[in-house]
Amino acid sequence: MSTTKTRKRSFMPRTFVSRALPVAGAALVLSACADDKPLNTFEPRGPRAQSLYDLMFDSGTWYVMGIVFVLVTFGGIFVAIKNRVDPATYDPEDLPVQTHGNITLEVAWTILPAVVLAIISVFVVRTIFELEEPNEPGELDVMVIGQQWWWEYRYDVDGDGFFTDGNGDGVVDEADQELPLEIALDPDDVVTATEMVIPAGEQVDLILTSRDVIHSFWIPRLNGKRDTVPGRWHTWSLEADEPGKYTGWCTEYCGLSHARMRMSVIALDDAEFDAWLANQQQQAEVPSDPEAAAGREIFANQCVSCHVIDDGEFEYPENFAETVPLVSHAAPNLTHFATRSTYAGGIFGSYAGPGTDPDDDALDASVYNQLSELSQNPDSPDDYRWNTAELKRWVANAPGQKAMASDVNPDTGLGRGMLPFPQLTDEELDQVVAYLATLD
Amino acid sequence: MAMMEEPLALPSGTVARSRPLGAFSRPRETSGLVTWLTTVDHKKIGIMYGAAALFFLIIGGIAALMIRVQLAVPDSEFLSAEFYNQVFTMHGTVMVFLVVMPIGAAFANYLMPLQVGARDVAFPRINAFSFWVFFFGGLMLNTSWFLGGGADGGWFNYAPNNGIAFSPSNGIDFWNIGLFIAGIGSLTGSVNLITTVLNMRAPGMSLMKTPVFTWMTLVTQFLLLLAIPVLTVAQILLASDRLFGANFFNVEQGADPLLWQHLFWIFGHPEVYLMILPAFGIVSEIIPTFSRKPIFGYPFMVFSGIAIGFMGWGVWAHHMFVSGIGPLSVAAFTVATMFIAVPTGVKILNWLATMWGGKIILNTAMLFSIALVIQFTVGGLSGVSHAMAAHDTQQTDTYYIVAHFHYVLFGGAFFGFIGGMYFWWPKAFGYMLSERIGKLQFWLMVIGFNLTFGPMHILGLQGMPRRMQTYSDAHGFNFWNMAATIGSFILGFSTLMILLNAFVSYRKWVAADRPNVGADPWDARTLEWSIQSPAPDHNFDHDPVVTSLDDFWHRKYQKDENGVLRRVATGDELAQPGNGEGVHLPAPSYWPIVLAGSIPIIGYGVIYSLWLVIPGAVLMMASIYGWALEPADDLDIDDHHDDHAKELETVS
Amino acid sequence: MTDIADSATDVVDDVASADDHAPADHGHDDHGGHHTSLGLSNMKLAMWLFLGSECLLFGALISTFLLSKARFITELVAGNPRVIESIPAGLAEEFIEAGTVEPIYDIPFTSGSSFILLMSSLTMVLAHKAVSEDDDLQTKIWLGATALLGSTFMAGQVYEFTVFYREGIEYGTSLYGSAFYTLTGFHGAHVTGGILMLLSLLVLAFRGKLKSNRAETVELVGLYWHFVDIVWVLIFTIVYLIP
Repeated sequence: MSTTKTRKRSFMPRTFVSRALPVAGAALVLSACADDKPLNTFEPRGPRAQSLYDLMFDSGTWYVMGIVFVLVTFGGIFVAIKNRVDPATYDPEDLPVQTHGNITLEVAWTILPAVVLAIISVFVVRTIFELEEPNEPGELDVMVIGQQWWWEYRYDVDGDGFFTDGNGDGVVDEADQELPLEIALDPDDVVTATEMVIPAGEQVDLILTSRDVIHSFWIPRLNGKRDTVPGRWHTWSLEADEPGKYTGWCTEYCGLSHARMRMSVIALDDAEFDAWLANQQQQAEVPSDPEAAAGREIFANQCVSCHVIDDGEFEYPENFAETVPLVSHAAPNLTHFATRSTYAGGIFGSYAGPGTDPDDDALDASVYNQLSELSQNPDSPDDYRWNTAELKRWVANAPGQKAMASDVNPDTGLGRGMLPFPQLTDEELDQVVAYLATLD
Repeated sequence: MAMMEEPLALPSGTVARSRPLGAFSRPRETSGLVTWLTTVDHKKIGIMYGAAALFFLIIGGIAALMIRVQLAVPDSEFLSAEFYNQVFTMHGTVMVFLVVMPIGAAFANYLMPLQVGARDVAFPRINAFSFWVFFFGGLMLNTSWFLGGGADGGWFNYAPNNGIAFSPSNGIDFWNIGLFIAGIGSLTGSVNLITTVLNMRAPGMSLMKTPVFTWMTLVTQFLLLLAIPVLTVAQILLASDRLFGANFFNVEQGADPLLWQHLFWIFGHPEVYLMILPAFGIVSEIIPTFSRKPIFGYPFMVFSGIAIGFMGWGVWAHHMFVSGIGPLSVAAFTVATMFIAVPTGVKILNWLATMWGGKIILNTAMLFSIALVIQFTVGGLSGVSHAMAAHDTQQTDTYYIVAHFHYVLFGGAFFGFIGGMYFWWPKAFGYMLSERIGKLQFWLMVIGFNLTFGPMHILGLQGMPRRMQTYSDAHGFNFWNMAATIGSFILGFSTLMILLNAFVSYRKWVAADRPNVGADPWDARTLEWSIQSPAPDHNFDHDPVVTSLDDFWHRKYQKDENGVLRRVATGDELAQPGNGEGVHLPAPSYWPIVLAGSIPIIGYGVIYSLWLVIPGAVLMMASIYGWALEPADDLDIDDHHDDHAKELETVS
Repeated sequence: MTDIADSATDVVDDVASADDHAPADHGHDDHGGHHTSLGLSNMKLAMWLFLGSECLLFGALISTFLLSKARFITELVAGNPRVIESIPAGLAEEFIEAGTVEPIYDIPFTSGSSFILLMSSLTMVLAHKAVSEDDDLQTKIWLGATALLGSTFMAGQVYEFTVFYREGIEYGTSLYGSAFYTLTGFHGAHVTGGILMLLSLLVLAFRGKLKSNRAETVELVGLYWHFVDIVWVLIFTIVYLIP
């Protein structure tokens, strides 16, 4: 919506030519290989990112930068070449006019840039406040929680705010957080990890926080970034024009595996999104298949001290978060693990098939809800398959796949990543993976 | 800050007499290593700052090349994530604190007293102490490589990632304590240099007749004086948290991690300007000299430098546009930041106007200066684009920022420093650097630099974040990363060519039987050219008396009866002969280096075992008393000395 | 640590270097050192610059304290269990009820010690006056009095620290404790440095070497001393008086 406003107010003609010329070099290089740059800020796919992109043109900033660059660079080189003398033959008494300055000129080139910058500032300040505009009541709000080195998302499905009334004062507000590690959640809300699924064409408001260090949430094609700071609650928003996959990256340095803290946003059309949300609100099924059931047994023995699977059978203590032996006191909730196309902080794909490279945005959003089904159906064309081998490697030795300080710190008794499980045999790993594949 | 040592004239020639309070005599070596270790001569100290900076430059440069090798191809496993994080942290830290800042200090120390016509800085022993404490702090920081790994929190070292829970090794403690110690040197140095500029100018040299470089030194040192304590406080808080269990950044106890960011950037932004302003001063000397014109708009150059210094305090939060400080603060800091482009723009246009209509001698020093003007402009323009907070949410923490500050600090500050080395090398060492190698170095550096950092603008806008150990093929960053890596090796090699040039030119000079390069080889404008090259130990035989800006130039060139400027004398004819009869200098001292050496012992003690603090503190107290009780001089002092000084004043 | 040492360097240095030039200066009392561009001696200029730097140091420390205290109280009142546990139960309740940390302070006691410190500025002025007039006896008296008053203040601070500690405000447990001890401890270190300088001057005075030609050294120590006092006025107001 901000795009249309900006368009009406812009004083620059928005034809292709007038835009492309002044930044020809940069724009060409940036857009030349458009399709294989999933993080390209020059290809906005949502109104917020679009307004940031437009800002630089509408305010004339790129043009001013281009003009000044050309003037100084070529002016400097031109003057240097034109006025140069040969030191070998130069007569030191052949002095140029000894100008000491020119007040008019200098005042002019003090004031002129100031005026230009003042004009640009108006555009910027307007956009700064536009970026803060919240969505309509009733539209989706998502809480984004960063921790080393993955993202958790909590969906306020019933729209009652983010927290239960933890302290019982009758108001649901920030005071209800059990600072800062545990964020109280309504039973009807949804928890997922790594991939944020949103409805396309709708502004989704985010509340950002962190459980350990500062991270930054950035989906370049949808909006700029904002830091997630422990102990603080920041707001931000996203909107995708079209269904699709939009990748992102944690952009505030957050320690060891900062480079492997990636995420994506999957925008679905309304019907698909509703179906996705309805599924996420279901409990997981206790598998009947013997292999998966055996896997569930192993999971019950090895994994539930960190990972939550809400299937109505696993029991977690009231103060579960405090007992999780991690600095962040949280591990990804795996209730619907098999619905996600990536895991391990967005660096591995759960499925093999067209567009499933976790860093690529080529995944077809219309099959997103069917990934698990397609991969399990032996009759369907051999497009999507459960990526068993990689997942087995991950479960067996996660720190070998991704740098994590998983070893438990003797002082605190806490680690910072998934432990290796060398005690699991190959068969047991198969069973665990078979169980995970049932979590759709 | 506490020394009443008088660098001015005392009579010589009488027999040395031991003084009752003197615990130890002053060192008397006149050559060899000990003279360097015990010197209090601002010129030797300046050269040592430069040498130390080049030493650290090699460490920081190796780290830079390792980063570029790692990022040359996607999914590279050349460096582990753990080591990569140490390497980029130490690269940034070393380059900022141990390379760019000390090179600035090197020029300030060597040149500023010469430019104001002083015989030394106000407090020579403190000056030596400043250098040694900086150097030992830097060494201590770098010993972390061998003691469990370097710091891994980034040079900005944000809380709470810098806490013991997230970085349990000692790397960040070394970062913290090492920089704290180096900061002591910056602080004492700034007090010293400011006092020198304000108080020790030659007769007649009012502030508005001081050279632009001296002005920029003054602004820089004021920034240091006021910025360092803020960093110090941040470091004290961090050390308390990490080593003594305090809670300043403990979120569980309700702390706000943004406190670190505010403190760090209140220091950090003035820091940015204090890195670039010395280079601005350097080119403001070089461009007029080789354009054969005075600097265009001297008052504007001075006041824009001061304005940058002032405004640098009001823009720190532009490093925090995405930290969640609220739209009002963001808007305010956006506007403030935009306007800091005004004084910098004035400087650039004034340099161009100085060249306009000049007779330009395009030698190496001038080429580097012109490159600074252009490359700094590129950095300044990208700076404007991320001063725009809204758009900065797309740019910050990407390679676009990396490109920006390398254009400012490498393409700007460092190019200026190299230009300054070519310009003042004959003054410091008595021989010229080869122009042939110099020009080759220049072109290789320009190509290497722009090939390394130019593509980073594109990478950043294509979404490549900073501080990434690796990226994936699917991100499409391959081509420009490879280009940048190739550029970085050209750049690394060409940077080292300054050493190559120094060596080759020296050999040639020696082979030619050390010809005298003359006092004023460039036909330059300021007072340092009115003394012999290399500058004699005592600088000036007598105090120069100054009547105008660029006084030395105006003594060489005067208007004839037709109003045409004529050369009435060459620089060599006017130059002081450098015999220094009757000039007496502050004697060298052991205590600055000993006192400075005691501080890292305490630093190691704080990290490893408080027991080690005790010998460190004992040595420190002992050296303080040694310093205090040291005779100011080995030579007898009698009542004549003030008369003698008066004599000198009258002579001049 | 270094801070104290720095300050100590200053004074000893002043003393010693002044001593070095004593014979020369003796015959030229009117000369007042060498010509300087500003007409202010290098030492005095340097001291002012150093104090300017110190302003930023204390400014940052005071800001840190204010922020930390505010966050501590907010979290305490909001019922953050970890913050409540960081101080003893009774104290936590008192703090929550008062909405501030005021209950821990003994304002009359600290006012008293603040008054003592302020008085030491007066004696410092008198010491400088005495040394300018070559009044050896008064120099000794007023320098000694200043050092004594400073020490009394320090003793008060140490006493206060122990009381707080016994009440359960520890350095490492609560955010407030860390902020309080760091800020006041830093000021205390500065006072201690000043006392060391005063004692050095006193030693010099008893050796008969503190004459009017060294009035400036006393003046410099005085500048530092007054600065430390002024900072205390700020800290007292901000830490103790403003709720």
